[in-house]
Amino acid sequence: MTDDLAVLDSSVLDELLASVDGDEAFIRDLVETYLAEGPQHMEQIAAAAGRADAEAIIRPAHTLKSSSAALGAARLSAISKQIEFAGREGRVVDLASLADEAQAAWTATVAALKEAGLAA
Amino acid sequence: MSAAGAAGATGVALVVDDSAVNRMLLARHLASIGIASREAADGAAALAALRDGATDVAVVLLDVMMPEMDGYETLAAIKSDEALRHLPVIMISGVDELDSVARCIELGAADYLPKPFNPVILAARVRASLADKRLRDLELENAAAQAALLETIERQKEELSRFLSPQVAALVSSAEGQQMLAGHRREATAVFCDLRGFTAFSDSAEPEEVLGLLREYHKQMGELIVEHGGTLEHFAGDGMMVFFNDPVLQADHVARAVRMAVAMRERFAILAARWAKLGFELGFGVGIATGYATLGRIGFEGRYDYGMVGTAVIVAARLSSKAEAGQILLNPRAHAAVEELVVAEDVGALELKGFARPLPTVNVVSLVAKPESVPA
Repeated sequence: MTDDLAVLDSSVLDELLASVDGDEAFIRDLVETYLAEGPQHMEQIAAAAGRADAEAIIRPAHTLKSSSAALGAARLSAISKQIEFAGREGRVVDLASLADEAQAAWTATVAALKEAGLAA
Repeated sequence: MSAAGAAGATGVALVVDDSAVNRMLLARHLASIGIASREAADGAAALAALRDGATDVAVVLLDVMMPEMDGYETLAAIKSDEALRHLPVIMISGVDELDSVARCIELGAADYLPKPFNPVILAARVRASLADKRLRDLELENAAAQAALLETIERQKEELSRFLSPQVAALVSSAEGQQMLAGHRREATAVFCDLRGFTAFSDSAEPEEVLGLLREYHKQMGELIVEHGGTLEHFAGDGMMVFFNDPVLQADHVARAVRMAVAMRERFAILAARWAKLGFELGFGVGIATGYATLGRIGFEGRYDYGMVGTAVIVAARLSSKAEAGQILLNPRAHAAVEELVVAEDVGALELKGFARPLPTVNVVSLVAKPESVPA
């Protein structure tokens, strides 16, 4: 259901670029930061899902949701939001499949950012 | 509106968010409106920074969802810390977290900032919070300045009351003081007194003796002036001018003046007896006149006195210089007011310098003994 969302929403990236007065170097730094902290959140999500720990999955999902949204990683942001809500509602059965979806979206996001020339 | 420079000068923003991406973005947007920022990855780190003397922090941007110590706990900790509670806290929140924002506002948050960040909204909210804080800081500064001012005024009042008569010192600091000082006319009684033989004494005595004697004389007479509620206009060597019925109204102002003069004469007799043993022959003379006069600030910028101006003042001065040792001379108007109170003797119509007609004058021999003080 999130497959129809863009991995990378270029309109968000355009807006972001405009909001920093076209400073592409800054956007690349931002992406670098995102790629540096992202794996940590992905690991926490995977680990919490593996333990069926609804409580522990909320925060990394929440953080990933918002930083992904900031960079236009729409699909990953949407999946993260689903994980966050599943965590809040204690729907532990959904966690594992959502975590897999997030992992796939993360990989796709990294690839899209590289393709867009924003990541090495 | 270019609040950028002004906002930058007021302090930095503390950005508290566990997402490095968000911190970077916020710092960047803040920088573009001239506000520098510090960063903290969670609430505990933020509190540690604030308590560790990050006194340049003027506003806190606080994420709700954070590990260790979340936004609620951090907000509550800031608001319950006496030293930090004045800091405006802006909550960072996603659009799906509006319920939590309402809770944060109830907990004391100043505002909220929706994610994703819109630089225009960010600038507006941060500037509004900084303006609030500036206003509050100004209020605090004002309150401190006011307290210092009040303290200064109190100290000045205290100092002033040593130089001025207590009534005038009180008047200067009262609400109606301005008006009173500006000048007003009313009936008042002027009392002049000085020492007979003082000039000769001060020529022959040592300066230390002269000053010592004057000090004692002023002290004794000063006590009586205060006791009778007189306003001392000035001392000039051995001379003194005191007036009554101003600035405080006294229905019995003439009686007060006469009682004071009689008390002074008695007190002087004791002093004179002592001085006589040292070989100093000094006498005491008083002139009292009642009449309408203008009272208020007299003088020039830099040196003002609260004074009394009018014919009564001149008459009192002339009568004082005409008085022989031990005499208390009254003008007719003063005499009429205290006729029942004094035993007076006619000293005839005196020629006073500057007055066309001689002035019928009486000398106060004594006060009429009060019935209750008459021995049965």
